[in-house]
Amino acid sequence: MDIQEVDGLTAQALAELAGAADLAALEALRVKYIGRNGMLPALMQGLKDVPAADKPAMGQALNRFKTGVTAAVAERKAALEAAAKVAKAGAFDLSLPGRWARRGRLHPIQQLIDKTSAIFRRMGFTVADGPDVETEYYNFDALNTPADHVSRDVQDTFYLPGGLLLRTQTSAVQARYMESRQPPVRIVCPGRCYRRDTTDATHSANFHQIEGLYVDEKVSLADLKSDIDHFAGELMGPGVKSRFRTHFFPFTEPSVEVDFSCHMCGGKGCRVCKQSGWIEIMGAGMVDPNVFKLAGYDPEIVTGYAFGMGIERLAMILFGIDDIRRLYENDARYLAQF
Amino acid sequence: MKIPLSWLKEYVDFEDTVAGLADKLTFSGVEVEGIERLGGGVPGVVVAEVLAIEKHPNADKLTLCKVNFGGPAEMTVVCGAPNVAVGGKYPFAPLGTTLPAGFTIEKRKVRGVFSEGMLCAEDELGISKNHDGLMVLDAKWAPGTALSEVLGPPETVVEVEITPNRPDCLSLLGIAREVAALYGTQVKVPDATLRESHPAVEKATSVVVEDLVDCPRYTARVLQGVQVGPSPDWMKRRLEAAGIRAINNVVDITNYVMLECGQPLHAFDQKLLAEGRIVVRHPKPGEKILTLDGVERALEPQMLVIADAVKPMAVAGVMGGEHSGINETTTDVLLESANFRPASVRATSKKLGMLSDASYRFMRGVDAELAEFGSRRAAKLMCELAGAKLLMGVVDVRSEPKKPWKVVCRPARLEALLGIAAAPAEIAQVFAALELKVLKCGPDAIEVEVPTFREDLTREADLIEEYARIYGLKKLPPVRSMATIVPDADDKPAQAQARLRDVLVGLGLQQIMHYSFLAEGLLDLFDQGNAPSRVKLANPLTADHTVMRDALLPQMAETIGLNFSRQVAETAFFETGRVFRLGPDGKPTETDHVAVGLFGPAGRTGLDKFKPVEELEMFLWIKGLWEQASAALNLRGAALRPADRPWSEPGRGMEIVVDGAVAGWLGLLKAEIAKEWRLHEPVGLLEAEAKPLVKDVEATQPLVPPPSYPSIRRDAALIVGTDVRHERVVDVARAAAPAELEKIELFDVYQGKNLGEGRKSMAYAFTYRSKTGTLTDEVANGFQAKVNAALKAQLPAEIRES
Repeated sequence: MDIQEVDGLTAQALAELAGAADLAALEALRVKYIGRNGMLPALMQGLKDVPAADKPAMGQALNRFKTGVTAAVAERKAALEAAAKVAKAGAFDLSLPGRWARRGRLHPIQQLIDKTSAIFRRMGFTVADGPDVETEYYNFDALNTPADHVSRDVQDTFYLPGGLLLRTQTSAVQARYMESRQPPVRIVCPGRCYRRDTTDATHSANFHQIEGLYVDEKVSLADLKSDIDHFAGELMGPGVKSRFRTHFFPFTEPSVEVDFSCHMCGGKGCRVCKQSGWIEIMGAGMVDPNVFKLAGYDPEIVTGYAFGMGIERLAMILFGIDDIRRLYENDARYLAQF
Repeated sequence: MKIPLSWLKEYVDFEDTVAGLADKLTFSGVEVEGIERLGGGVPGVVVAEVLAIEKHPNADKLTLCKVNFGGPAEMTVVCGAPNVAVGGKYPFAPLGTTLPAGFTIEKRKVRGVFSEGMLCAEDELGISKNHDGLMVLDAKWAPGTALSEVLGPPETVVEVEITPNRPDCLSLLGIAREVAALYGTQVKVPDATLRESHPAVEKATSVVVEDLVDCPRYTARVLQGVQVGPSPDWMKRRLEAAGIRAINNVVDITNYVMLECGQPLHAFDQKLLAEGRIVVRHPKPGEKILTLDGVERALEPQMLVIADAVKPMAVAGVMGGEHSGINETTTDVLLESANFRPASVRATSKKLGMLSDASYRFMRGVDAELAEFGSRRAAKLMCELAGAKLLMGVVDVRSEPKKPWKVVCRPARLEALLGIAAAPAEIAQVFAALELKVLKCGPDAIEVEVPTFREDLTREADLIEEYARIYGLKKLPPVRSMATIVPDADDKPAQAQARLRDVLVGLGLQQIMHYSFLAEGLLDLFDQGNAPSRVKLANPLTADHTVMRDALLPQMAETIGLNFSRQVAETAFFETGRVFRLGPDGKPTETDHVAVGLFGPAGRTGLDKFKPVEELEMFLWIKGLWEQASAALNLRGAALRPADRPWSEPGRGMEIVVDGAVAGWLGLLKAEIAKEWRLHEPVGLLEAEAKPLVKDVEATQPLVPPPSYPSIRRDAALIVGTDVRHERVVDVARAAAPAELEKIELFDVYQGKNLGEGRKSMAYAFTYRSKTGTLTDEVANGFQAKVNAALKAQLPAEIRES
């Protein structure tokens, strides 16, 4: 066998290997060409009869045969195996539903409490707490709300035996907190409040507020405005500002109602802000001197601001909730969307 | 309160748009709630009468109306309003009329039929947003009458809300004072000069006030020869625009003057008063009164009445009586202008369930000094409009008159409170504009005398607010927001509670929230034993909110039931909230609790979800949830002990013990309770006090480095009696094993016929590891042999090793 015949044989082997239909046919060809009893050992055997001058060239030709066939077998094998996997893919169903870990969620009211608290924490406020069951003193008297004031009406307040009541506002925490420590005071207090309201789409007899109180030397209404502006931007988005309207609360003087510019339309007027460009968010003001006196602070030395807002109302505005009752209905499908 | 602007302008001049005025009032504390435009009509729109109605041939919801609008011919109009009726009178826009929306009525076909004009609804005329049907006009108007004649001259009515501290604003003059201060103009006080005739009033009547505390002032004037009749149109229109129905000239004048200056007035027919005189007193036992609204009301001793010589004729400050009211035959009027103690009027008004314009004002406080002005104004108008002759003088019974008082405002204090640096003269100017008399104006202090009608201004802070609201809150100077670090302000408890919620969310639970009060029956369902210590509302509003919750689980189970009824068959909830109980001293205590509720295949994922959930599986989920949560909270000293609760399925409950004290429970809901909500599969529940669970969240523990040497595992399958508990296996194995036993894991429990009755197989993996070197097989086998021997002997167990 001469060199040309060996090279011809190589070409023939490569062609056959490329055409091997399956792994069995491929194995048969491998055995035929390079197996222990196949062509390659026989050809190697014949090398010793080749004249010395031709030996190197013949050796190279045989080497080409060996490496070429070996590589072609490996290549074809890989191709056939890959094809077999693809063929089997019908049993590996990529379209099956993915496996979900159960995901928990905080209630939207909690989310708003956490979000507002976090903003105020960053502004140096700490989170304080007070009881739901209050005395008339902390809920009214200490807040400069005299006994014959409208809001002390039994109509509006849930009473408990023994002259106790369910707090109607988180402001009740103010006096408690101030009694127990000296200024400066910088707290927010999220919590439950209760009013004897008939529950409807916008009223809930059980609701949440977050109350803020800052007392120090030289705290002014201008500080309140700047701090509330900052809060407005953090909560509702950059550019949202507040505006103050004169109002009346027994425990602040001056008292203001606070509107935020509408976060949806930027103040141009839309459905969310009822075309006014503003949304009423909170009540606020400078702590009334009587409240300080009752708490044992000297109103000649300290001043302070206080504010309070309804969490449900915020949740309804920010999430677009149409009916406050949904928040207490606890339908899992509704809550899972927050 | 409704303010007709044309009326307001009689008392004060100002140059502004309605929107501008509304804005200024709102920001300075008189909140404008609405602006209503009345009257005016639309040029060309007239009254039309519908003569006949036919169905539209091509449209079900349209009709063809034949109308007479006072024109030369009848017109046919296509109409879509549901309330159109034959004989009805409606506003009609003839061809060529331009409506406020900007379009002009033309003859055009509507669904193939010509329409010759348009019958209008209120919104089409720009009167309101109402488009429910045609605007219905009174039958008295002749067809062809201009709508502007029907509706009267144009008027803008501004509706304002007055805060409780400003009763002085409950009148047009009060609002006028605000407007004057805001615009820097003057109030024009209406004339109240009188022409009096002999004899003196004392000859005609007398007044006795038995309680000068509840009635600090009572004035009476007497007018004779009164001609009762309708009021002039201008007065009727003003009253109606302000929301008060016109009745007759005498009554209308009392209402008119009340709206004008804020002084409630009452007119008695003097001839109907026994002895023609007034006694202000408390009712006698058993006295009753028939009030003007036609209801007979029982009076109570602490109330105050206006009586004649014999019996009560009016409830003081609240409502007049039927028997002494002005009627067509009245000739002599006793005009009451009085003052009553706010708390007294409030109590009476509430007790009788009667609220009137008068009681509304008295409850908030009326200046006693106003009584005389109000009386004079009304008397003057009665002379002018009812032909009355006014007797000389006034009977005025009163307690000590209130004197104006002084208040000082320091500019430095004003700056501290508002952050506005204002010159003393500027501050004084604002005070003067509010009719406060500036007595001194120095760099350190401005002293003012406050008129009696501003009872809300008694302190420096009150004056500072006056300055702020008139100066303008929009002009507050910007300052830089500063965070303040307050030493010793610890909110770790709040953070610990947040951590607890985070852990539960991380375990896949959805937070829910319920009311703090509920119907007691739901609590009874879970634990009747707590009934004596429940906190009940003294004045519940509805039957389903009568008692404070003493546990979170009842509402939790109810909500799982509600969701199940809505086909949400898989729920995993938690709630954190307060529970309320009476303490040993009978006073309510409140404790923060946490509750978890699991239902359906909530612990499974993917395709396993559709296999039914067995009791044991549910129990292990709720228990595993507790185990994971307590581990995540770093809780130490916690254990579970078998213990049933009234709500738990027997033998399926455990109590959570923390540091030796019971802190909560977990287990499966009793099937009897679950069936209340048709829950027929196991419900896993947990409730615990929140505080003990988070006691260690801040604590740290010594760290253990990862092991240096490999472990060896040995498995053993124990064939034991079915009563042998996992806990026992672990105890026995631990006791027998060397320190190298790292963990024991149960990986299979099997019960089958081939094992024989009363037996089960429990397969365990034992992991051994040494801290000092790699264990050899021989050593591990030795360890396991000791363990196995102990298990065999003590459980007892047969063992198949591997």
